Amino acid sequence: GLILLFYLVFYGFLAALFTFTMWVMLQTLSSDIPKYRDRISSPGLMISPKPDTALEFYFNKSDAQSYAEYVSTLRKFLESYDDSKQSQNINCTPGRIFDQNDVAVKKACRFNLSELGQCSGKEDKTFGYSRGTPCVLVKVNRIIGLKPEGEPRIQCTPKEEGMAEINYFPPEGLIDLMYFPYYGKRLHAHYLQPLVAVQLAINSNSTKEEITIECKILGSPNLKNEDDRDKFLGRIAFKIQMTE
Amino acid sequence: IQEDHKLSTLELEEKYGTSINKGLSSARAAEILARDGPNALSPPKATPEIVKFLKQMVGGFSILLWIGAVCSWISSGIQIAQGAESPFDNLYLGVVLALVVILTGIFAYYQEAKSTNIMASFSKMIPQQALVIRDAEKKELPAEQLVVGDIVEIKGGDRIPADIRLIVTQGCKVDNSSLTGESEPQSRSCDFTHENPLETKNIAFYSTTCVEGTATGVVINTGDRTVIGRIASLASGVGNEKTPIAIEIEHFVYLVAGVAVSIGVLFFIISVSMRYKILDSIIFLIGIIVANVPEGLLATVTVSLSLTAKRMAKKNCLVKNLEAVETLGSTSIICSDKTGTLTQNRMTVAHLWFDNQIYSADTSEDQTTQPFDQTSPSWTALSKIVTLCNRAEFSPGQENLPIMKRVVVGDASETALLKFSEVILGNVMDIRARNKKVAEIPFNSTNKFQLSIHETDDPDDKRFLLVMKGAPERILERCSTIMINGKEEPLDSEKAEAFQTAYMELGGLGERVLGFCHLYLPENDFPDTYPFDTDSMNFPTSNLCFVGLLSMIDPPRSTVPDAVSKCRSAGIKVIMVTGDHPITAKAIAKSVGIISATSETVEDIAKRLNIPVEQVNRGEATAAVVNGMELKDMSSEQLDEILCNHSEIVFARTSPQQKLIIVEGCQRQGAVVAVTGDGVNDSPALKKADIGIAMGIAGSDAAKNAADMVLLDDNFASIVTGVEEGRLIFDNLKKTIAYTLTKNIAELCPFLIYIIASIPLPIGTITILFIDLGTDIIPSVALAYEKAESDIMNRRPRNKRKDRLVNEQLAIYSYLQIGIMQSVGAFVTYFTVYAEQGFLPSTLLGVRVDWESNAINDFEDSYGQQWTKYQRNYLQWTGYTAFFVSITIQQVADLIIRKTRRNSIFQQGLFRNKVIWVGIFSQIGIALILTYGLGHVTALNFTPLRFQYWFVAVPFAVLIWVYDEVRKLFIRRYPGSWWDKNMYY
Repeated sequence: GLILLFYLVFYGFLAALFTFTMWVMLQTLSSDIPKYRDRISSPGLMISPKPDTALEFYFNKSDAQSYAEYVSTLRKFLESYDDSKQSQNINCTPGRIFDQNDVAVKKACRFNLSELGQCSGKEDKTFGYSRGTPCVLVKVNRIIGLKPEGEPRIQCTPKEEGMAEINYFPPEGLIDLMYFPYYGKRLHAHYLQPLVAVQLAINSNSTKEEITIECKILGSPNLKNEDDRDKFLGRIAFKIQMTE
Repeated sequence: IQEDHKLSTLELEEKYGTSINKGLSSARAAEILARDGPNALSPPKATPEIVKFLKQMVGGFSILLWIGAVCSWISSGIQIAQGAESPFDNLYLGVVLALVVILTGIFAYYQEAKSTNIMASFSKMIPQQALVIRDAEKKELPAEQLVVGDIVEIKGGDRIPADIRLIVTQGCKVDNSSLTGESEPQSRSCDFTHENPLETKNIAFYSTTCVEGTATGVVINTGDRTVIGRIASLASGVGNEKTPIAIEIEHFVYLVAGVAVSIGVLFFIISVSMRYKILDSIIFLIGIIVANVPEGLLATVTVSLSLTAKRMAKKNCLVKNLEAVETLGSTSIICSDKTGTLTQNRMTVAHLWFDNQIYSADTSEDQTTQPFDQTSPSWTALSKIVTLCNRAEFSPGQENLPIMKRVVVGDASETALLKFSEVILGNVMDIRARNKKVAEIPFNSTNKFQLSIHETDDPDDKRFLLVMKGAPERILERCSTIMINGKEEPLDSEKAEAFQTAYMELGGLGERVLGFCHLYLPENDFPDTYPFDTDSMNFPTSNLCFVGLLSMIDPPRSTVPDAVSKCRSAGIKVIMVTGDHPITAKAIAKSVGIISATSETVEDIAKRLNIPVEQVNRGEATAAVVNGMELKDMSSEQLDEILCNHSEIVFARTSPQQKLIIVEGCQRQGAVVAVTGDGVNDSPALKKADIGIAMGIAGSDAAKNAADMVLLDDNFASIVTGVEEGRLIFDNLKKTIAYTLTKNIAELCPFLIYIIASIPLPIGTITILFIDLGTDIIPSVALAYEKAESDIMNRRPRNKRKDRLVNEQLAIYSYLQIGIMQSVGAFVTYFTVYAEQGFLPSTLLGVRVDWESNAINDFEDSYGQQWTKYQRNYLQWTGYTAFFVSITIQQVADLIIRKTRRNSIFQQGLFRNKVIWVGIFSQIGIALILTYGLGHVTALNFTPLRFQYWFVAVPFAVLIWVYDEVRKLFIRRYPGSWWDKNMYY
């Protein structure tokens, strides 16, 4: 009995102590930006849709069921880019870092879906999958305070040349500097990260083959894309296999 | 049964195909040698090295770690088959685990081999030579080549090279102490005197020594077939019991392994039922096992034991088996030999009686003068007899040695007398030269006296002086006068009565008494040309003048009484087991305190109350002197009763076989028994004992082989210092284990919480190994240097059933209190690191699957930032490092609190044990190197850490210290309370 009581008190005390120290620690943190950001100095790249089974796309262009999931994922992902959701967003000056350090409420720049052209889902509800020209959106990971230098753009290449033609939206895969920097979830609630759509036109003789596409961020000296260990830092590779 | 002692010389020659004069032919001898093998004891069968090595590989926790390694390989195999991205992590972990087992195994094997080597050097003997007649020629041969039928010659000083039937002897005496334990030389002749080959006088036994005289004999047994060889092989038949510390460590390993396996299985079930994949569950299982097993502990224990063994070796206790270090500490009964161990092993004059008065002599080891009154003229006369009537002589070339250390040619009593007179009178040889000996009759058993006639050094006195010594009653018979204060007075009945009383009194002290008398031969009847003839005895041997008595004893070593009383206060019962006469044994027992001054035996009580022994209430007697003859007729129940009811026991006149019975009796009482011994015949008892202690100087090789420990100085007092060391190491091992076990919880909790709350893994398996085998090793060894908290020689020996090395309190206090506190501290650091990088604690809960997914490279933190897998991994390793650093910091506090179990750290002194500080600095140093030096080696999972994270756990470290001080304070304040019972380990 006494033993139980002792441990009740003992662990109660420890729990209280733990809670207290955690509380003290959390008090020292800002709710706007993390104390340190040295572990993510350069952003990673990611794509949408993201298949469950690693980064591999398998679909049959004549079978709507085989790509339905990709389409719905894209649709869902682009919902927040819908014009109706972007009413508070402002039009920023293209090509320039949009610095808002002095402003209390950070504005988000508008990203027009139309920039994604054929991959916007407006004309082609299947994002090209039904036509054998599937769209994949490439996005740059959000990092608070990141200001890319130069003219960052996304460039994708099939591993074996000539297996697919690649189209970029916006043209040349440019990422506009006005979307940077990001100020964090709390201050920058409506922030939309810039997207680059990559449309693949698979050569008819390369169907049924697995094509590896490698995308990289280029044109910006402070965005790394060749880290030995991190295969997603400023780059991404995915596979795609289309049947008819 | 051998009949050789009954055979005549001719029959012997016939039986062994030999000839007394010519011996064997070399060819025949070679044949027999090929048949029988060399004349040497076959060494005890050694365990093959590879078996020893493999035992280290599977002993202790190794099995668990092997399981972990195999699990790792299996899961990595599955991963490879599934084509996962990093299947080699587990393969690599399995290799590391296997390496850990193999390296600790090699280490333990090396340690054991090192301590065995010390002993191996011991058993190397100088090859013995024997003088053999072969091909009708005398040859010196190595004793190993002797065969049955060889004719050998031996002389005083030789070791008997085999069992020999004597056929020619001349004043031959042998010392059978290595066989029987009795050091009194026994005479040997060619006569068949006893049915029993062991008792008959015409057989000399292998490994005994010939003290004086010469003999020739036929070899009748060689090697293992000798009497000694048979006893030695008997000893190897006595099984080796597990040492108490081995039992304790086994118990501890079971406990920890039990905890590891049950937690592992429990969480395996939990994780399976939480829908984790089987593969993941297996990986969790490995983590839990690795976290739970103190990988470095067994190596630490070995090192601590060998450190103590080294310390003991400096104090003259050479430990053969490392574990015996602790056994000595838990000893509750010491069965000690008398001769040589408790005593100095040399006869020394203890008392004198002249002028109707008993004088005591100094019997200490390094006497240079004698304090008793030497003014009486009677003493002058007595000293002259003592000096002259003595055939013993110092071996030449020892003038610079202290008298007591010089080597003497002569028997024990004469040696004692020679040294005694040398101490008092100075140059004895010179005195003898000035008082030239003209005739002499040596001592023989029929006369029981020794006589010599001298010229005197007084130039005015032309008379011859006849001096005589011998058995007091025989000497007195030959006297008509007695010297009192230098004057000859008639020996009337009153004076004879006084002599009787003195004789009885000295005899009652267990001393060997000699009487001395003299006579100045009248000048007229014995002119200086008188032809003395010892055969016809043409001189008076009666009506002499009695001068005095001298009594001798083998006195106790001066350090022994103190050591015995230390044993007594340490709750250790000292039992004397000796082949000597009960009276001598009892006297020595009393003088060293084995029988204390106030206690009485049944016989003493009977004598005091003047009633027959049978009427004495046996409960009143605390002491007992048991005769070997009585012991022979006792049932084991009766022996148990004696061992139980008497606190002070002396076994006298015991045979070596009875020593074994006594040891077994003590063990039946549940005691941990230490036995000392030197003879071959002691080896079964030494083996049977929980710790056998052989004498380094007097001990035979067989005894040293059977023993666990060798006393280099043969001194009982060294055993006591050994006991002290043994007790200290037990206490310190407790501290080491408590220290080591604590952090296991801090290593285990992360896994459990990781499984249950699905947070990113707080500490990796490899990191755990770096704590267990890196930072923690030196500090835990440092605890072996800790001084005792109180006088450990004032408490009773530990009860081997109750006082466990790792008891419930120790495990609970380490696991459930300090360990949990450490975990809390480490988790605070962990959460701090994550929160300051963007992952608030609330975000971390339940993220495991996504966090660990290789496909998710835009994992969002609490601030909306997105992380790639590798970026998360790197953060996770920073978490590992932070957790590791926190455990290390708190282990410093743990190390400091473990210095004491009861006393405050301030009582113990923070700086008395300098090695602790070496431990602390090494711990922090290793952590710094791992973090900042090796922080860039990916495989090790360490990353450079912001400096402030080193201090997050410091308040918790302080808390641990304060809490433990409070615990100790309450234990000291309220002994016996609920707190004391639950918190003292």
